[in-house]
Amino acid sequence: MTNGEVSSTVAPAKQVTVTINGKKYEAGEGEILLAVALREKIAIPHLCYEASLDPYGACRLCMVEVVRHGKREMVTSCTTRAAEGLEVVTDGPEVVKHRSILFELYLAEAPKSEVIKAMAERYGVTKTRFLKKVDTTDSLGNKCVLCGLCVRACNELMGAGAIGFINRGPYTVVNTPYFGATRDCLGCGACVKVCPTDAIGMEDIKDERVMKSWSNTRVPLVQCSCCGTYFAPKALAATILARVTTSLKEEIARRCPECRGKLIAKKEILAKTGGAR
Amino acid sequence: MKIKSVSDLAARRKVGLQKIQPGKPRIAVGLATCGIAVGGKRVYERLKEIIDKNGLDITLTTVGCIGYCKEEPLVNITIPGKPLVILHKVSETDAEEIIRTVSNGEVPYDKALCQVPAWDHVKGCTLDYGKGFDRIPLYADIPFFRHQKKVILRDAGLINPEDIDEYIAIGGYTAAMKALTGMDPEAIIKEVEKSGLRGRGGAGFPTGLKWRITRDAKADKKYIICNADEGDPGAYMNRNEMESDPHMLIEGLIIGAFAMGAAEGLIYIRAEYPLAIKRLKLAIEQAWEYGILGKDIFGTGFVFDIGIATGAGAFVCGESTALVASIEGRTGRPHPRPPRLTDIGGGLFGYPTDLNNVETWCNVPVIISNGSDWYQAIGAKGNTGTKVFSLVGKVDRVGLVEVPLGTTLNTIVSDIGNGGANNKKVKAVQTGGPSGGCIPFRLFDTPVDFESLNKAGSIMGSGGIVVMDEDTDMVDIARYFINFATGESCGKCVPCREGLKHSLLLLNRIMAKKGTKKDIETLALLSDTIVATSLCGLGQTAPNPVLTTLAYFREEYDALVKP
Repeated sequence: MTNGEVSSTVAPAKQVTVTINGKKYEAGEGEILLAVALREKIAIPHLCYEASLDPYGACRLCMVEVVRHGKREMVTSCTTRAAEGLEVVTDGPEVVKHRSILFELYLAEAPKSEVIKAMAERYGVTKTRFLKKVDTTDSLGNKCVLCGLCVRACNELMGAGAIGFINRGPYTVVNTPYFGATRDCLGCGACVKVCPTDAIGMEDIKDERVMKSWSNTRVPLVQCSCCGTYFAPKALAATILARVTTSLKEEIARRCPECRGKLIAKKEILAKTGGAR
Repeated sequence: MKIKSVSDLAARRKVGLQKIQPGKPRIAVGLATCGIAVGGKRVYERLKEIIDKNGLDITLTTVGCIGYCKEEPLVNITIPGKPLVILHKVSETDAEEIIRTVSNGEVPYDKALCQVPAWDHVKGCTLDYGKGFDRIPLYADIPFFRHQKKVILRDAGLINPEDIDEYIAIGGYTAAMKALTGMDPEAIIKEVEKSGLRGRGGAGFPTGLKWRITRDAKADKKYIICNADEGDPGAYMNRNEMESDPHMLIEGLIIGAFAMGAAEGLIYIRAEYPLAIKRLKLAIEQAWEYGILGKDIFGTGFVFDIGIATGAGAFVCGESTALVASIEGRTGRPHPRPPRLTDIGGGLFGYPTDLNNVETWCNVPVIISNGSDWYQAIGAKGNTGTKVFSLVGKVDRVGLVEVPLGTTLNTIVSDIGNGGANNKKVKAVQTGGPSGGCIPFRLFDTPVDFESLNKAGSIMGSGGIVVMDEDTDMVDIARYFINFATGESCGKCVPCREGLKHSLLLLNRIMAKKGTKKDIETLALLSDTIVATSLCGLGQTAPNPVLTTLAYFREEYDALVKP
C-alpha cells in the first residue's frame, strides 16, 4: 500500500487540540506526538524514530511527561498518539534528570559518535560517569547505539533481511548472519541513510560496493553503457526494474542517471523537431 | 469413552475413587521433579521390584508433591480404613521395611511425618481415609502445614497427575461441567470478577476485567494463553502445580475459553520443565479421549483445544509481548504497549488474546465450583484468595507454602519456615524474583499482598521468597540479581541494556573495594533512571534489589567504599 492510496481511501483524520509546554497545537487524531512536536519545531531528542517505520520505542530519549488529572507520567512521545485534550510537558525536571543519565549512557556506549556528542551537549551533557566502551574490532567504530533502524529498514522497508541483531542484552550487535558476507544485501544503502549516528561504513570501490560494517559484503555495481561509470548495485537494480513498466526500462537498466538524462532529452528534441537538425 | 453428561462424569468418578482408595494398601511415591531429584525414582523402583517379586496385592503409584521440600522423598501410604500416612526422607533402603509393615496393615512409624484422616479437595469433595495410627501426629499439627491453606495445591501430592480418573475422582471437571452446561459466559465472568481474583503472575491485574476486555474485543477469533514461563531464580510454584495437578490447569483453561469465546488455547511453557511438559501433554491427550477437549465438549457443541508451545530459555519471554513474539517464531523482544494483547492487532497472530499465569488459571475451577462468596472470604480485602510461595534460601523448612494473601512475612518465614537454617538469624527476604526487592527483618510484619509489598519497595512477582541470614552479604545479593537481569535483558532499550550493565560494573567495583561514595550515588541515580525509562517490566523492576538494599542496608555498601 502506498501513501497515495492511504490518503485517497481513508477519510482525513479528525483535528484535535493538544497542549505542548502550555501552548495549544492542532494535530490529526491519532498522529504520533513526536511527529507533531517536530512539525511544530519543538525539540525532542530521538534516535530510533523514523517516519516510514512503525514506532519502536527503544532509544527512550523522546520521553515526555503526560499530564493527567494534575499528575505527570513519563511516556515515550513516539508511541503516544494525539488525542483531544492531550497535555504534555517536554522538559520537566523528571524528564531532564532521566534524559541526562540516558545521554551519559549513550556517551559511554558510542564514545566515537560525534552526533551523540553534539546531541548530548545540546542538552547540557558533556561528560559521562560510566565506563566508555572501547572495542577496536567494532565494525561500527564504537558509534552504534543499537537503535535498530538499519535492521528494520533492511527488513521491513527493503525486504532484504541482510542484517539483524546478534546475541542479546549488553552483548547485542548488528551484523550479517554468522558475521559473513551475505548475498541478501542489495547494496541499497538504506541502512546508511537511516543510521542516526553515521556509524555504518559503505564505499564504492571500482566495480563493487563494499558494505564495510557488514562483514565487508561486496555488491557488484552496474556499469553505464555510455560513460563507463559504475552507478547502481546490480541486485538493487534488478529488484527495482522488476517493478518498472515504463518504456524507458532499457535506459534505466543500462545508463547512469546523468547519461540517461542526456539521452532522454536528446530523444525528446528529436521527436519534437521531427529529426531535422 | 466420551463424557457427555453429569451422570457420565459421576460414573467416571467412581472408577477414579477405586484407584485412590482401592480397598487394598496403596503406596504412592512423590515424583515431581523435586522428588525425583532426591531419589524418589529409586525408591519407586525398589518398591516395585519387591512387590513384583513377591506378587503382593499392593497398589504402587506416583503422585505429585505436597510441597515439603525439606522432607523429601515423600511416600504416601493408604491402608483401607486407616488414615493416609505421609512418610518422609525415604530412601530405597527403607523399601523392604515399608513393604513388610504395609503387608501387616501397619506403617513404619519412625519414617512417618504425619497422618491425614480426611483431606478436603476443596471443590465440594472431602476424602475420608479413616482413623488409627494414634502415635503419628496429625497433618494439621505439623508446624509447616498448620498455617497453610491449600486451595491451589488442593490435590498436589495426593493424586496421580498422570491419571485423569483420579482427578475426576476428587471432583475434577465438575466446575467445567457446571460452567459449560449451566452458566452463560457473562455469568462466568461476573463470578470471576466478584471473586476479586488478581493475576498471579506478579502484576495483580484483575482477572475478571481482563477476561471481559478479551470477551468484548470484536474479532472472529480469540486466543487464550497460559503463561508457564516461570523463570525467577528460586521460584517453582508453577512447575509443581503443573507436575502435580495438570488437569486443574486444563479445567481452568476450558472455563476461560468458554467465557471469552476462544477455540484455541496455548500453554507457553519453558523447555527446562520437561516433566511438566510431559504430564501436560498426557493430560491433554486424556482429556481428548474423554471428550473434555475437542469438538464437542461434554456434548455441548463447544469446541476447544489446547496446544503446547515451549520457550527457548529467555527470561524476558515471560513478558506478554515478548511471549507472543516467541510463539509466533520471532525474537523474544518486548514491544511498547498499547497495543495490548487483548487489543485487535496486539495479541497472538494479531487476534485478541488473554494471557494469565498458571496459578491464575488454577484458581478458576474452585471459584466456579464454590462460588465467589466463598473465594472472597479467603485472604484480605482487595487481595482475595491464596498464593503459593516457594520458600527457599537460608531458611530451615524449605518448601512450597500456600497461604491466604495478607499473611505476614513473619508467619511465612518464622512460623512455617521455622526461621533461619542452622539456627542462624534471618536478616531479610527477597520476594518476587530477580525484580523484587529485599525486605529487612524489622519489616516482617508486612502482610504479603500486592500493595504492601510494593510499599516496602518489593513486588509480589510470581511468588519466590528467598531468605537471607546474618551471613548473607546484601551487596553481593544485589550484584547477583543485577547480573541475572543483565544477562536476561533482551537488549532493545538503552536503560535496561546499558544501564544494567553499568550497574553491574559499579557493583563489581564496590564489591572489589575499589569504589567510592560517589559510585554509590551514581548507582542510585542510575537505578532510578532504569526504573523510570525502561520499555518493559523487566527493566522497570530490575533495579529493585539495588534500590531496596540501598534503602535498608546502606551501611553494608558504606563499609565497602572509601570515604
